[in-house]
Amino acid sequence: MPADSRSPVAALLWSVVRAEWRHHALRQATAVLAVLLGVALAFSVHLINASALSEFSAAVRSVNGQADASLRASQGTLDAALYARVARAPGVQRASPVVDVKLQALDRQGRAVTLRLLGLDVLVAGALTPQWVPRLRNPGKGGDDPPEARRSDLFATDAIALNPPAQRALGVQPGDRLTVRQGLRTHTLRVVGDVGGVGEPTGVMDVAAAQALLDPADTGGRLQRIDLQLQPGARLPDVLTALRLPPGVVSESPDEASQRVSNVSRAYRVNLTVLALVALFTGAFLVFSIQSLSVAKRMPSLALLGVLGLSARERLRLVLWESAAVGLIGSVLGLAVGTGLAALALRLLSGDLGGGYFPGIAPSLQWSPAAALLYGALGVVAAVLGGWVPARDAQALAPAQALKGLGDVRAHAARPWVGPALLGLGVALTALPPVAGVPLWAYLSVACLLLGGIACVPAAVGALLALWPHPQQAAALLAVERARRMRQTATVAIAGVVASLSLSVALTVMVASFRTSVTDWLDVILPADLYARVQTAGSDNAAPTFERDWVDAVRALPGVLRAEGIRVSPLRLDPARPDVDLIARPLSQPDRDLPLVSAVQPPRDGHVGVWVSEAMVDLYGAQPGTALRLPLVAGQPLVSVWVRGVWRDYARQQGAIVMPEADYRRLTGDDRLNNLALWLAPGTRTATVEQALREQADARGLAGSAFEFAEPRQIREITLRIFDRSFAVTYWLQAVAIGIGLFGTAASFSAQVLARRKEFGLLGHLGFTRRQTLGIVAGEGLALTSVGALLGLVLGLAVSVVLVKVVNPQSFHWTMELMLPWGRLALLCGGVIAAGTVTAVLAGRRAVGHDAVMAVKEDW
Amino acid sequence: MLQIDDLSRRYGDDTVFSGVNLRVNAGEFVAIVGDSGVGKSTLLNGMAGLDRIDSGRVLLAGHDVHALDEAARAHLRRRHLGFVFQAFHVLPHLDVAQNVGLPLMLLNEHRAPDAAARIEQALAAVGLQGLGARLPQTLSGGQLQRVAIARALIHRPGLLLADEPTGNLDPDTAEQVMNALVARIRDHGAACVMVTHSPTAAARADRVLRLTRQGLRDAG
Repeated sequence: MPADSRSPVAALLWSVVRAEWRHHALRQATAVLAVLLGVALAFSVHLINASALSEFSAAVRSVNGQADASLRASQGTLDAALYARVARAPGVQRASPVVDVKLQALDRQGRAVTLRLLGLDVLVAGALTPQWVPRLRNPGKGGDDPPEARRSDLFATDAIALNPPAQRALGVQPGDRLTVRQGLRTHTLRVVGDVGGVGEPTGVMDVAAAQALLDPADTGGRLQRIDLQLQPGARLPDVLTALRLPPGVVSESPDEASQRVSNVSRAYRVNLTVLALVALFTGAFLVFSIQSLSVAKRMPSLALLGVLGLSARERLRLVLWESAAVGLIGSVLGLAVGTGLAALALRLLSGDLGGGYFPGIAPSLQWSPAAALLYGALGVVAAVLGGWVPARDAQALAPAQALKGLGDVRAHAARPWVGPALLGLGVALTALPPVAGVPLWAYLSVACLLLGGIACVPAAVGALLALWPHPQQAAALLAVERARRMRQTATVAIAGVVASLSLSVALTVMVASFRTSVTDWLDVILPADLYARVQTAGSDNAAPTFERDWVDAVRALPGVLRAEGIRVSPLRLDPARPDVDLIARPLSQPDRDLPLVSAVQPPRDGHVGVWVSEAMVDLYGAQPGTALRLPLVAGQPLVSVWVRGVWRDYARQQGAIVMPEADYRRLTGDDRLNNLALWLAPGTRTATVEQALREQADARGLAGSAFEFAEPRQIREITLRIFDRSFAVTYWLQAVAIGIGLFGTAASFSAQVLARRKEFGLLGHLGFTRRQTLGIVAGEGLALTSVGALLGLVLGLAVSVVLVKVVNPQSFHWTMELMLPWGRLALLCGGVIAAGTVTAVLAGRRAVGHDAVMAVKEDW
Repeated sequence: MLQIDDLSRRYGDDTVFSGVNLRVNAGEFVAIVGDSGVGKSTLLNGMAGLDRIDSGRVLLAGHDVHALDEAARAHLRRRHLGFVFQAFHVLPHLDVAQNVGLPLMLLNEHRAPDAAARIEQALAAVGLQGLGARLPQTLSGGQLQRVAIARALIHRPGLLLADEPTGNLDPDTAEQVMNALVARIRDHGAACVMVTHSPTAAARADRVLRLTRQGLRDAG
């Protein structure tokens, strides 16, 4: 190929563009910074979530060890008799009985720490879960193996071995004593050794010792699961078929366990990642503004190159490659900063970005080259997209006219149908269902609405300013008329304002709607004056229980008008999904007792009526007027229940079923409770009732101090504090988006004002004072940012409807009422208008200086 | 080198010029004069393919300029044309040597072994030897116009188009610039079409033509 037919773009990039960057380093650094911030935020959020999920999954897999499958009860526990049958079944090489519960241990300062207790048959577990086999240690001497006589400690009823996280959290080592609390009973154990398993604080006991600890009266023994290792060549489906498992006993593979962990947090992780990508999206607007400024200033140079023989397409490619270079530098730096942010966050927050999905772990950073490549590429794409319109301007300029300073560089304009088409598409996409539980179409809808709204800016500017009466005063006339006629220019100026403000409005409305809905929901579900339960270990709702007859005694306490017992227990309906909560409670008036969101269906003969949460409808198809089959008791046939209504539940994303307590007792024979709701007589002090209840428990030989109480006010405060913490990252990302948007506006105004130096110089020659010219610039800034704020508000409200009515239900399986916080929205819009006007004035101050007057002399 | 047949240009219903015919041979220097607003710059832009024409034909180095697409016209300008403007138009962030070498960069000849030497020779030929490392802001108007002349001929085009090259210069400087311009085009054997208001500058041409609404006529 002859030399002169090869494109000179690369040579011009290296010489002309590089010289331009050297002289305007701050401007280019700003564009790089915008991409850097976007990539850093998105990549760090991804790394944190991926590292936490990986660590958590590894911990889950560590607990399951090398088992090919685990048998569990859909509700409750397994009968130990099942173990004997499973261990002898054809195809089963080994079966390991496992007790797996959470209880509370007290550290040296008496503070409660959640401890996972594994009860294992150490003679079998060595092959399946070797990392959980206890290693006996001499007291205080660490690594020495103890003499033969102490081997019996492996089976002792009061011996426990702790993993390193447990030893650190509790401040104990082999040879120490450890107090644990299970329900209302406390026990003192001897720490006889350690185990190598990773993850949350965990202790291992002999399986029989653990069973005795949990329920001394139950001589048959209950198990949480039976781990299976198959013989070589045996297939799990064949083994399960041969076993003929009783109803209510399910098999779960290690993959399903990991999948369950992933599913719980997926919606939260996806939403957080999308929010972080929003920062990248806003960064693209800043690149757009910076490149617009740069191209505007370089128009004479680009025109000269055009005259000398750089074709239109080559000018387009020159600006696009320049944008790509900005993106590449920003992405590389952003990946480095993002990695650092993630490492810091993992150290400080232990992988919890506010959602509380990965408790009890301290993950290490897990860096992924594939993810880095993806997010780096996204940064480059965002920068190139931001540079597209300025590149088109460079392509479209008429070289000869531009060299003389004639002609508007916005030779192209978006076709008028593009904006309305995108808006229409955005609306249509909201009707589509989620993809694998992710509201993908809804996110695309938001993108279409934003882009469509921005594409409509020129038409909207014209329409809104047409309503403005023609000013009579010269400066005001110039300000309004220019803003009215240069509508394409307006798009450049206020696109950043529209994008960032609309996102901020949408997030503000969504968070306000959510918070109000949560508050209203709490008012319905917390009707009592006082709530009591035994201190739970973590958030597991398989909480310690107490006998029903004890509630009768509580009712007789002075000041107690009414007491209701509630039983909450986990129910596994799908091995790949988290357990749903089965809530058995008195239900005299469901429409008053539950925050219903559907009409109440009439009861059906022969079926127990239940009320399901919204998540049950989404995940299990439990529509009102349909039947559900529930595995209430392991080994018993499934129970058919009738769904009579749907209620709103913000506490359980995985689903919940409310059943009248009388029906529950009749069907399961389970007479125990784990929560109390108390209505008190007027004037009764809650502290008095709490004290009386503890004393009564102590009198029965139970640990009264194990009870925890909460008034509705306290529960409300804690709930809203958790809510605010979970949205903390959202608020931060919102602030970044607004900052980038305003910076983009400042850059845009600078671009346009600097390009109009000759115009300002002419005004000076005509007799306008500097103050009057600055007034024109301020007026234009006020007009355009006001229009931008109004458009951003309208667009933001539209996007908020999508977030509230589509994204949230599809992500988290709950609905909420739309609530518009007008005061906060007014403050947001007012702040943006003020900031935009000020930036226009600051940009104008430079343009109306001496240089502007001298610029006119070029024409003489 | 350049042949224009029956060229016309209109803006709406307003005819700028019509029936323009011109033949410029290799090495010939033609000056075009005329009243302000008669369309001299428009004619020059039409010759270069930078502006559209309404009828007629422009043949440049045997190519029908307005029959080519935009990219082909750009390539044609790159190879066969040099430009000198009234307002100099040098890139402010490149030094003098880089500005002069711009056409070589567009032709991908900037890495040729003799490229640096050619730039130095071009600067020396217009009396700017040793100033290659200077930035444009440090030069006078006359020096800048000579940089533009060096740039216009560095790639040995067949035709130089000059639009009011002395328009912004005082008489003495204008004479220096015209001396440099004439010397360079003679050295290169390039044809030159110059648009000017200046009778002194026009007098340096081999032929002076006057542009009117009815076309080009001898000015003598």
